[in-house]
Amino acid sequence: MPRLLLIEDDKETADEIAAELGDRGFDVSWAADGIEGLAKARSGGADAMIVDRLLPGMDGLTVIETLRSEGNRTPVLVLSALGAVDERVRGLRSGGDDYLTKPFATVELVARIEALLRRPTESPDTVLRVGPLELDLIKRTAKRGERKIELLPREFRLLEYMMRRKDQMLTRAMLLEEVWNYKFVPQTNLVDVHMGRLRHKVDEPNELPMITNVRGVGFILRAPA
Amino acid sequence: MCAASGSSSVRLPDFVRTTTFRSTLVIAGAFVLGTVLLFGFVYWQTAAYLTSSFDTLITGELHIIAAESPERRLAHINERLDNDPRHVRIAGLFAADGHRIAGNMDTLPGGLTPEVPADAVVVRVDTQGRKTENVRLATVRLAGGQILAIGRSNDEIAGIANIVGRSLMLGLLPAFGLAVVIGLLLSLRARRRLSEVNRRIKSIVAGDLRERLPTRKGNDPFDQLAASVNLMLGEIEALVHEIAGVGNDIAHDLRTPLTRVRARLERGRARAATLDELRGVVDQSIAGLDQSMAVVTALLRIAEIEHNRRLEGFGQVQLSPLLREVGDLYEPIAEDKRVTLQVEVADEATVHGDRDLLFEAVANLVDNAVKFTPEGGRVTLALLRRDGESVIQVKDTGPGISEAEREAVVRRFYRSDKSRNTEGLGLGLSLVAAIVKLHGFRLTIAAGPGCTTEIAVPTR
Repeated sequence: MPRLLLIEDDKETADEIAAELGDRGFDVSWAADGIEGLAKARSGGADAMIVDRLLPGMDGLTVIETLRSEGNRTPVLVLSALGAVDERVRGLRSGGDDYLTKPFATVELVARIEALLRRPTESPDTVLRVGPLELDLIKRTAKRGERKIELLPREFRLLEYMMRRKDQMLTRAMLLEEVWNYKFVPQTNLVDVHMGRLRHKVDEPNELPMITNVRGVGFILRAPA
Repeated sequence: MCAASGSSSVRLPDFVRTTTFRSTLVIAGAFVLGTVLLFGFVYWQTAAYLTSSFDTLITGELHIIAAESPERRLAHINERLDNDPRHVRIAGLFAADGHRIAGNMDTLPGGLTPEVPADAVVVRVDTQGRKTENVRLATVRLAGGQILAIGRSNDEIAGIANIVGRSLMLGLLPAFGLAVVIGLLLSLRARRRLSEVNRRIKSIVAGDLRERLPTRKGNDPFDQLAASVNLMLGEIEALVHEIAGVGNDIAHDLRTPLTRVRARLERGRARAATLDELRGVVDQSIAGLDQSMAVVTALLRIAEIEHNRRLEGFGQVQLSPLLREVGDLYEPIAEDKRVTLQVEVADEATVHGDRDLLFEAVANLVDNAVKFTPEGGRVTLALLRRDGESVIQVKDTGPGISEAEREAVVRRFYRSDKSRNTEGLGLGLSLVAAIVKLHGFRLTIAAGPGCTTEIAVPTR
């Protein structure tokens, strides 16, 4: 059971997050301010941390910077009501691994925590494989079983990203940030349209679907059962 | 009200304490001191000059008379004294024992060095009686022990001192008085003006943003200051109105989805018969709340861009790959809508800017164009060169924007009524406008069949 340390001063928000994460099989311990949070983080045992930016006692970013300077490498998700791009950059620069702006959907939080816990291993392999799906990073080719898949450069990048994170929930916001390098939320459902294209190419009607669209949350790539 | 009536009636102690009045006093004081010093110098110089002329005169006479024979000497002394209508001459011939032989001096004052003129006090004795006088006196011891003294009254010098002193009084007192009065008037005027300014500032603080500071035609620093402050007040008023307008728009754009959510939840609670129906209602409500959040997020982004806080992200940006990328991104969306999206790049421009923001701006224009173009239409994204400028042009065959709506469209949150039923937040163009403004580019929305939006990049 992965253990999480949640440093958040608003008790109601903390309870809500803890309950949701508890339901998803996480063991959550809670600290209500920066000083307590730092102490708990130092005592170790957490697999990942969720740190609110604005905390009484000690600012969230200071907590992270302190931990990093002490050699603590536990992945950290920064929570903040400050949504500006600059704030986000500052949050990541101080040692945070991901940044989520309040208010957020709980599924988004869970997806990001799971992503943090399962950081993709930058495997030296030049060919990625998920089930029958094969992606050759050198030749820039893709095939499912014996069937060749023609991909546009952007689709190739999207599929590569998904194959490196197989079985993981990938939310629209994560895909926008990581694949499209978007720093804003477009008005149109860009991700869905592009994902639709990719899905169409990866999963043909007579094949078992590999890309699942989880309504209102995001997408998962899995080997067919 | 109470504060205003208290400060509008100016009492003496009030303005005597003002800075203007105090500086007037200081200047008047300095003026008085300077004048006194000047007059003192004039007096001192004149007195010194007169004393030295007297000395020459009396030593001259002393020597002439001393050189004469004793009989001539007596006659000369008497002649000298008779010939003195102003009664300024003093002379005396004394025997060795101090007894007076001739002249109008009662006794010879002691302490005099022979042949050196000096100040002395003597008693004059003549037809008018005895009178003590300050004199300039020189003596010489003659053969036979007699002492001859010749002198001149110092009254003239005292008279000059008198005249100098009187003219000083006559000139100085009125000048000082005038300075004080002018100081009072100036401080009174400044005070009046200040209390007027204070009154108006209080009314501005109380919320009357239309109030301005009083200005006159003059060009004194105070007027210039008042004009600058008024300019600032105008700017603040405009901004506050803008914020108020934006506030109303936010309220409206948030209220709409929130009202829907509320109604949905209420209906769901009353009507939903199954768990799935209830879930459906909750899902719709969450979507509504997300939309409200998106409004807030978009608004914050506009504020962020408008506050120029992202200038550090500036660099050289090549426009043609950027445009191709946007085209690439929206091509599938256009295709889904059966709209042709065409990218025409006829220019290789590089501009100074923030690539992410420019991408966002162009993406927004294309997003809008694709959204508002009906099935079978066409959207063209082009990079042109016109009149020495690079122009990013997005042209569509949609319903277009009417002349009257063009300005309003760029305002935050406005959405052309025709498109109210199309998804979107109505913030797209405001965002584009903010980004374009940050870069110093120009955004135009042109009429035509359909709609043409352009970002013109002036080449430096």
